[in-house]
Amino acid sequence: MISNIMTMVRKELIDAARDKRSVMAGLYYAIGTPLLMCGMFMLLIGQISSPEDLNIKIENGERAPDLVKYLSSQGITHGDEQDKSLDVKDIRLIFSDDYAAQMAKGLSAEVTLVADNSNEKLQNSIRRLEKNLQTYSAEMGSLRLIARGIDPRVVQPIKVNVEDQATPDSKGGVILGVATMTMIYAVFISGMNLAIDTSAGERERNSLALLLSHPVSTRNIVLAKVLAVTIFAMLGLLLTLIISKLSYSFVPWQELGFTVSISTNFILLMLLIGLPIAIMAASLQLFVSFMAKTFKEAQSYLTLVLIVPMMLSMAASYNIAPDTLQWLPVSGQQQALIAFIKGREIPMLQLLLSSMTTLVIALGLTFAMEKSLKSEKIVFGL
Amino acid sequence: MFHGKANESEISMADIITTTSPLKFLIGMIIISLSALSPSVFAKQDSKIDESRVNHCYVDDLAERLKCGFISVPEDRTKPNGKQIDIHYVVLPAIKNGANSEAFLAIAGGPGQSAIDNAAGFSRMFSKVRQKRDILLIDQRGTGRSNVLNCEGEGFEEALSINEADFDVTKETQACLDKLDADVTQYGSLNALEDFESVRQHLGYRKLHLYGISYGTRMAQLYMRKYPQVLSTVTIDGVVPMQQSVLAIGNAINRAFELLIQNCDENELCGKQFPNLKGDLHKVDAELTLKPAISQVRDPLTGESTQLTMTRSKFMGAIRMALYMPNVRALIPHAISEAAKGNFQPVMGLYSLTIDSTGIAMGMHASVVCGEDWQRLTQEERDAANQTYFGQEMITNFEKSCAIWNMPAVESSFSAPISSNIPTLALSGQIDPATPPSWGELAMEELTNAKHFIAPYATHGVANQSCGNDLIAQLVDSGSVEGLDRSCLDKDVRRNFYLNASTVEAIPDKADAPKETKQADTRHTAEQGDSHD
Repeated sequence: MISNIMTMVRKELIDAARDKRSVMAGLYYAIGTPLLMCGMFMLLIGQISSPEDLNIKIENGERAPDLVKYLSSQGITHGDEQDKSLDVKDIRLIFSDDYAAQMAKGLSAEVTLVADNSNEKLQNSIRRLEKNLQTYSAEMGSLRLIARGIDPRVVQPIKVNVEDQATPDSKGGVILGVATMTMIYAVFISGMNLAIDTSAGERERNSLALLLSHPVSTRNIVLAKVLAVTIFAMLGLLLTLIISKLSYSFVPWQELGFTVSISTNFILLMLLIGLPIAIMAASLQLFVSFMAKTFKEAQSYLTLVLIVPMMLSMAASYNIAPDTLQWLPVSGQQQALIAFIKGREIPMLQLLLSSMTTLVIALGLTFAMEKSLKSEKIVFGL
Repeated sequence: MFHGKANESEISMADIITTTSPLKFLIGMIIISLSALSPSVFAKQDSKIDESRVNHCYVDDLAERLKCGFISVPEDRTKPNGKQIDIHYVVLPAIKNGANSEAFLAIAGGPGQSAIDNAAGFSRMFSKVRQKRDILLIDQRGTGRSNVLNCEGEGFEEALSINEADFDVTKETQACLDKLDADVTQYGSLNALEDFESVRQHLGYRKLHLYGISYGTRMAQLYMRKYPQVLSTVTIDGVVPMQQSVLAIGNAINRAFELLIQNCDENELCGKQFPNLKGDLHKVDAELTLKPAISQVRDPLTGESTQLTMTRSKFMGAIRMALYMPNVRALIPHAISEAAKGNFQPVMGLYSLTIDSTGIAMGMHASVVCGEDWQRLTQEERDAANQTYFGQEMITNFEKSCAIWNMPAVESSFSAPISSNIPTLALSGQIDPATPPSWGELAMEELTNAKHFIAPYATHGVANQSCGNDLIAQLVDSGSVEGLDRSCLDKDVRRNFYLNASTVEAIPDKADAPKETKQADTRHTAEQGDSHD
């Protein structure tokens, strides 16, 4: 029976390989997504990080030459808007006309900062400017006290010591959480074309009835198809992982103060955890495809059905999941993966249970498929 | 510091100053240290590494988890089975983890400062280096957490009222020595060097990039001499050349005083506001030399009424210490001018910054200076040092304290120039009150692969006050001094001097501030109106 199945798996794979376009379509995702993610992160990091030389618009700078000079020593200078070669940020700093007078009297001199704080591209630059202004103000404040014979420590009654328990790995956890989501999704996407092709497609080509008429059991046919799609899905996952490992090292994560790297251990764990998901994905996709009347219909059904695992996965990676979700398929496994990334203990019970549920669903769907293939309605798509 | 952002306050003097009550010591001390490093201003904290968590710890002003530990070494290297002391280290792990075969070792100054206490400053300063390389900080033996040799005085309640002339250096030094549980003769640079090398081997770094600030440059140079094979690059910042006894610092201090006066005279606003700065300085100095000015003041910290005995030692010492920090330096002309008018409030403010910081381990300081600098001082050098106030004070004090400390002199080869072809960057600040650019030049004598950059506007510690840290990152990355371009050091970062107790900007004349007069006028009219009623 095993050799029987293997022969059919080989047939399915050869079939799939012949249709190069659908093979590629399946693998596009596996190759493309990590690269796209990297590109996106690079762009994002480039945009949100404040440039080394920050050009802003300083109005009436002549009223506060010392502060302007201080800012310039911190890389923040006035940029002439007319000068097209400069990237002048839309941040304005305006010195009030009584700046020097207020300052001379020991009062607070007014500086107005005009900027759109909801603009993500500016936020870091705005914060940097604010921080520098505060530093300058604090420094002057301390010196004013010293000039009056007072120890500046008296105005710092509380000193807060922060002990951040994050590890370098867990700091990158948010990003890897999103990355695992795309990886889990690779399992679903990579095998999808093959699943449709080998079910609805085969029926459309009228070769399904032919196959069923051979002296092999329907169960073996179904198992072979599930296995073939699973192999494809796992191949997609492996490819995604390898490409992620390579490409993530090119992203300048250090700009964010941490690093994201995909370890070999993570790859192994992901493959192990991904296997039951791949089996479930395969049986689910085949089941839905068989239910559909045509190739096209199968495609649209599957797109809808795939929303469910995607939602589960998203809920897990954005940590918006209620606790019950950690016992469910896909989200349970993904939370275990995230725990592993963040260096926490893997919740074994949840992982085992959600993996078991995954397998049970896969088995159920396979049986349902076997049963349905005995009906003429399904076989001929009536 | 004022507005809830504790970490950003920038004035930091705590680290350059030393010691508790032996006030005379303060003036007598060399204090070539990393001035501006500590980002937490005046707050001095004794951060203890929690030993129970062996592998990670936290240090002051750095929220992140660091790797730390210690190795045990014999106090006396010739007696491997004798008393053991723990040498503590902290690793600031590289942001990009990966091959950590190289580390960046930052060596603190003093002598007697703790590198670990300054971890936050080093981390900020060398954030670019840290992208790819671990930063290694070691508390040199006798400092910080490594069997610190502190000389605690009786406290500082009397710091303001004491007259330093009454201070008995011999007695205090003896009391300190009696209290220390250590063979102080083992706390010189050469033994410490072996500790550093042991830590490197213990952590398994194949190569080191060195950064030495101030006295740390001596350690870096000794490293170059003894273990050149493990060094990739070296940066010496605020250079103490091997040929130079640090006791010659008196001239450097004088030079910095003169440069300050010159800078103020050349500055339009400062020159106008304080036209007679030099005269004022000499006037106060002369007056205080005759007799201290005694007045009742409010304690800078507690606000309690107390007596201030403004001596020459306090006055000159406070100004000397203020010269280390570009931002505090800006207040000096105002402080001198006020003192000449008999108002010692600003000087007391500056002085109070120097009182109770424990940045420098006095015992270790004495071990280094007495063993390595005191004995090699020739008669001519001694005479030259005696020409200046600070030099004279130092000679007098170390004469007494070194007699008690009784350090064996280092061999004469210790003072030989370093000859090396390791890529080396020497940095000097033009207005440095401790290690003048000429000292950096001296260190270059036999360095064949080195560059010496002078930052025109920096005081002590160029990397912290200019683009020096970027140059260092570039040196570490490229492993060569070839591509280094000094031009960014010329960026004018000079700040205005304080013109009164509040402002650094030009004080507007009455006529220049129409709004002010108008307001005043209205009030005036209102008052008049009232009176008419």
